[in-house]
This record gives sequence, structure tokens and C-alpha cells, in this order.
Amino acid sequence: MNPAEAPAPAPLTLEPEFRSLDPRVIRLWRVRHAITSVVLLGMATIAVISVGMATNRWLWPAIGWHLLLLLRVVLLFWYPARSYKSWGYRIDGKVLETKRGIWFRIHQLLPLSRLQHVDLHSGPIERSFGLASLLLHTAGTQHASIVVPGLDAREAARLRDELVAIGGDDGV
Amino acid sequence: MMESDSFEPPPPPPPLVPPVQPPSPPVISPDAGPQLAGRLHPLTLVFAFWNAVRNIIIPLIVVYIFGRRRGPDTYIWVAAIFLGLPVAWAVIRYFTFTYRIENGELITRHGLLGRTERNIPLGRVQDIRIEQGVLHRMFRMADVFVETAGGRGPEASLSVLARGEAERLRAAVFDMPTAQPADAPARTPDREVIRKLSLRDLVLAGITSNRTASALAVVVVLWQFVDDVVPQETYQRWVEWFTQRAVEWHSHGGGLHWSLVVIAAVTLIGIGMLFSVIGSIVVFYGFTLSRSGEDIYRSHGLFTRRSSSLPRKRIQLLKIEESWLRRLFRLATLRADTAGAGLPGQNKDEQSGRDVLLPVVPRRDVELLLPIFFPDLDEARDPWQRVSRRAIVRGTKKGTAVCLLLAALSCAIQRSWHGLWPLLFIPAIYALNVMSYRHLGYWLGDRFFRMRSGWLSRATHIVPIRNVQSVVVRQTPFDRRHKVCTLIVDSAGQTHTGGGPRIRNVPAADVLDVARTLAHRAARTRYRV
Repeated sequence: MNPAEAPAPAPLTLEPEFRSLDPRVIRLWRVRHAITSVVLLGMATIAVISVGMATNRWLWPAIGWHLLLLLRVVLLFWYPARSYKSWGYRIDGKVLETKRGIWFRIHQLLPLSRLQHVDLHSGPIERSFGLASLLLHTAGTQHASIVVPGLDAREAARLRDELVAIGGDDGV
Repeated sequence: MMESDSFEPPPPPPPLVPPVQPPSPPVISPDAGPQLAGRLHPLTLVFAFWNAVRNIIIPLIVVYIFGRRRGPDTYIWVAAIFLGLPVAWAVIRYFTFTYRIENGELITRHGLLGRTERNIPLGRVQDIRIEQGVLHRMFRMADVFVETAGGRGPEASLSVLARGEAERLRAAVFDMPTAQPADAPARTPDREVIRKLSLRDLVLAGITSNRTASALAVVVVLWQFVDDVVPQETYQRWVEWFTQRAVEWHSHGGGLHWSLVVIAAVTLIGIGMLFSVIGSIVVFYGFTLSRSGEDIYRSHGLFTRRSSSLPRKRIQLLKIEESWLRRLFRLATLRADTAGAGLPGQNKDEQSGRDVLLPVVPRRDVELLLPIFFPDLDEARDPWQRVSRRAIVRGTKKGTAVCLLLAALSCAIQRSWHGLWPLLFIPAIYALNVMSYRHLGYWLGDRFFRMRSGWLSRATHIVPIRNVQSVVVRQTPFDRRHKVCTLIVDSAGQTHTGGGPRIRNVPAADVLDVARTLAHRAARTRYRV
């Protein structure tokens, strides 16, 4: 099945498969979660110690601290892999479709002729993994931007060019 | 650079592409010079002075109250600051502000020390608003505001211009392809009047406005409050006081407190109505909706006349709003969003009537008016798609939960089983949800997407598919249990209509098909601001 050549008027019959993100994104998300966790747990530790010193009660603050630790550990090890599995994007004719979300699922469909501009973004951690994300902007209001994270840096640039080419193609 | 340049008159710029010279009508040839140029009217200074005087009154009162012991110096200082600065600013602005239309751009320049030049491509101008206060009308002047897409507020404000000059500017911007030479007389294009609102319409609009509804709500809440919260004793005393007063007025007294409450309620509602009728007349007096070619014009106002234009292609989203009070009179309100509208929740828009396209119109006339705004409107003949029946259950559950909470609260306050009264509403909530379910629907045509919702208060959204920016499908964990999703159609603008279609409880089995069909239809069209 070659979806790119599917005729536009009958897009629903020949649907291309959703593509996954680059698997390296799982590790990227873990690193990000780890950094946030360290910061949060550090702040929580300070809070626990100051509350404990002031009131001389340690039990509940300590329980709270451990709950937070548990939550962060779950987020660190379980969440990124699940989130990766839920992510998908595809170009179906002239429409980019993304899906994501474990509990709160969201599908976003962007007619590419509505593309106002595209940002190719890669932060320092992303760069060290060789990853980049695409931010697609429309003239809309509540959902004016759609993001595709965790792409291989070269693939992201290629995808951007492809999307812009489809969007700019005015032979509608 | 060469020094001689500054002494000689600048030579005409050499054409960048010499051999090609297309003087076809839509393209304005580059060396035609400014097509329209001008500056502010000298009366600008008078208006600035008048505005400053108006603004100074309150500070002067403050000074008078709090600074009585100070000498006249204080007054002079206040006058100098609040009068001198704005006038000085206006003088600078008057002498430095120029505007011109050249090469398909509106160019404004101003500034004494730092010159600011702003180029606005005419194609990006969404609206030219003309406002005339009472003083403006006496001198035939106008404030002109140029709005563009995505702007926070006007991109350029020209205050003040002669009224004819303002019209000429508007004509030059919107009739760009067939632009008139600058010396042509200010012409008013042939405008076909679509709708005029009579005084009777405005009074009706005022009576049925939200303000009356909120007065009604206040009455209900106050009545509840008096009944529930105020201690019996105080309440008794009030009633006695009222009754005594009533006895003084009337000769018969017994059992009159009920009628007094009714009178008070009616008075309150009456005051609410009076205010909204006055507001409606002040803002919308002489409302005229007219059309010339592709442009739709509105003008209205008793004291301050406002007029604005709206190319109908730029209507991003149209909403037919029928609040429950208006439905009693079979009336509706039309709202429209343009990409040029500012940020949501700007109070000023409501005060100036900018938020409505047509403040009040009989419901049966709406269908006749729609083709004026959307000439290619496809008729929604097929049965409208309904959402899942689960909507009824979910809505009723939510309402029941609220009722239970209220009942628990009022039981706790009243300490008797009388507090259970909120539970009486549950059947009504169920009925309301059934009616809402029956009325809720969407319709996906080739060129337009429509959604209608609400039963007591109704709303119908019409979105041209060429203006759909993206389609979003959402599912919460609760949605998943009921096998439903929320469908959101995003468009530009969304200032005056309170957001585009957002349909809850669409069966999960259909929703992606609808979303994809809609997105693909949108992808086949071009979005033109």
C-alpha cells in the first residue's frame, strides 16, 4: 500500500498507517522527567524538613514525600513508554493527523493548506539525543498550534519541507 | 554615501525590472505616486482639547475634595498635567502625522524625535471603522480605525479626519482594484439596505436583552436569600415595616406583604428593562445593515455614530443566538467573527455594539438573510446528525449530583427535611436534557459545517469549511466509558461568538470519520484572509 499516491477525493478508503515517533524520545522524556523530579523532590525535602522542624511532626510529611517519590518514579519509568505508544502522526492526502494521550486522548487534524508557519525546534537536551520537534501554526484560536515531538532531526527537517510543500501547493 | 544626494531632489527610483511594465487594472503601477495622501484635520487640536477637558473633570473633583486646604497652585498643577500634556501630544501628532496609500499599502508616519513609519498591506486590512461622537457630528469629523487580522486593537487610528476624507480612505482601501484618483469626489457606493431597525425593534431588543434576564435572576436569588438566610425575626420586622408603609398608602392592610414583594420584584425587573432599553437605543439607534458588492456595512448609534464594514468573505463564523427571553418573542441575534477581531472578552465591544452583526431580527427572517452573508450556502436539508443518547444520561447525572449537593447544603442550613427541595428539580433536569438532546445536532455539507444546540436558549453556528483551521477530537476517560468523544472545529477570530462548534457526546464510532471528512474538505479549499 502506497498511501502517498492515494487519490485525494477518496481518502477514507486508503488510509495510511500512523507513524510512530523516534524511539529515542522515550529516553528524552525520561531525562526531562528525571530533571523535574530532582527539582520537585528537592523542594519537597526542604518543605518536609521545615514543616518537621517547626511542628516536630514527621510522619505525614514523610508519607507525602514518599507518595510524591512514587508518583515521580511511575512517571519516570511507566509513563514515557505508554505515552510513546499512544503517539502517532500521519499525512493523509492533504491532512496531517496526530494522535496522543493515555487517559485524555486527542486527535488533531490539520488541513495542510491552513498552515501559517512551521517551527523546527530542538532544545539542548533534544539536540544531544539528535531529536527535534515540529510546531505547526494555523490562524485558529483555541487549537492554533499542533506539535509533533520526538522526530529524528533530519527527519523533522524533511517532514517540515514535505508539509510546507503540500500546504503551499495551491492546486486545490 | 554620496553627499550630492541630499542636495538634489531624489531621482525617481530606477525600475527594478525595466522591460516588464504591466499596467493592468488591479496592479497599481509603482510610479503612480501616492494614490491618496493626507494628514489629520486641523480640528484635531480642538478635539484633543475637548477630550482633555473631559478627562480633567474627575481629577479636579478629586483635588477639590481632598485638597481643599491647598492653595490654587494645586489646581494649576493638575490642569497643567492633565490638560497640557495631552494637548502638547496632540499638537505634535497633528504636525507630524501623515498617511498615504501607495503601491497597495497604507502607510502612516508619525513621531517628532523617533519617526515611526507603518506599512499596512491593503489586502490585510480587515475593517475600517468610523466613529463619530456628538461633537464629531457637529463638525462633520470622524475617528477612523484601521483593523487588521490578528491585531490587538486597531493597527492605525486616525483621529480626526473630515467625514468625507474618511469615506474616501475607506473606499480607496476596499476598492483597491478599481481605485479612483485622489481628486475624485468622495463617493458613497450604491448601498443596498439589507435591514433597518425601527425604534420598536430596539425596544424589543432591550426588553429581551440579557440585562432583563439578569434582573429576573437577581429577583429570584434575592427572594431565595430573603427566604432562607435572613433570620425570621428580621424578615418579620421588614414585612411589618413594609406593611405599615403600605397601610399608610392604602386604607386596607392585611396580608399585603405578598403583593409588596411582587411590586418590588416588578419594579426591579422594570428598572432592569428600562436600563437595557435605554442602552439598546443609545447604542443601536438608526441601525442600518447594508451591502455594496462584497462588503457589508453597519452603522448605528444615537450619540456616537459608528460605522464599520465587513467584507463577507472574511466572516469566519456566524452564530444565530436565541436566548430564552428572545425565543418568547421569536427573535434572534446574529453574531459574526472576523479574523480581524481583537481579543475575547473585550468589554468595549459590547458597549459599542461591535459584538453583534444584527442585534435583533425575527427568527423567521434569519434564513432569508443568510445567503447575503454566505452566497454559496448549501441548504441543510438532510436530517441533522444527532449525538449519542448517552448525552441524556450523562447530563441528568451531572444535574442530579448538583441537586444532591444543594439539597445536602440546604438541609445543613435549615436543619429540616424542607431542605430537600432541590431534589424536586431532578425530573425537570431530565426533561431538559431530553429536549437538549433532541435539539442538538450537526450537519456537514460540502461547503459549510453547522451545529445547533440548546433548547431553552438556542444557538446555531455556521462555519464555512474554507475557514476551518483545524479539527480536534477529544476523549476523556469518562467519555471512553460511554463510547463518545468531543468534536471541536477551530477557526480564526472567535471573539464575538464565544467560540466555534464544540460538540460533546458524538459517538466514538462516527467521530473520526466526520472529523476526517471535514478536514479533507477543508484541505481542498484555500483560506484567504
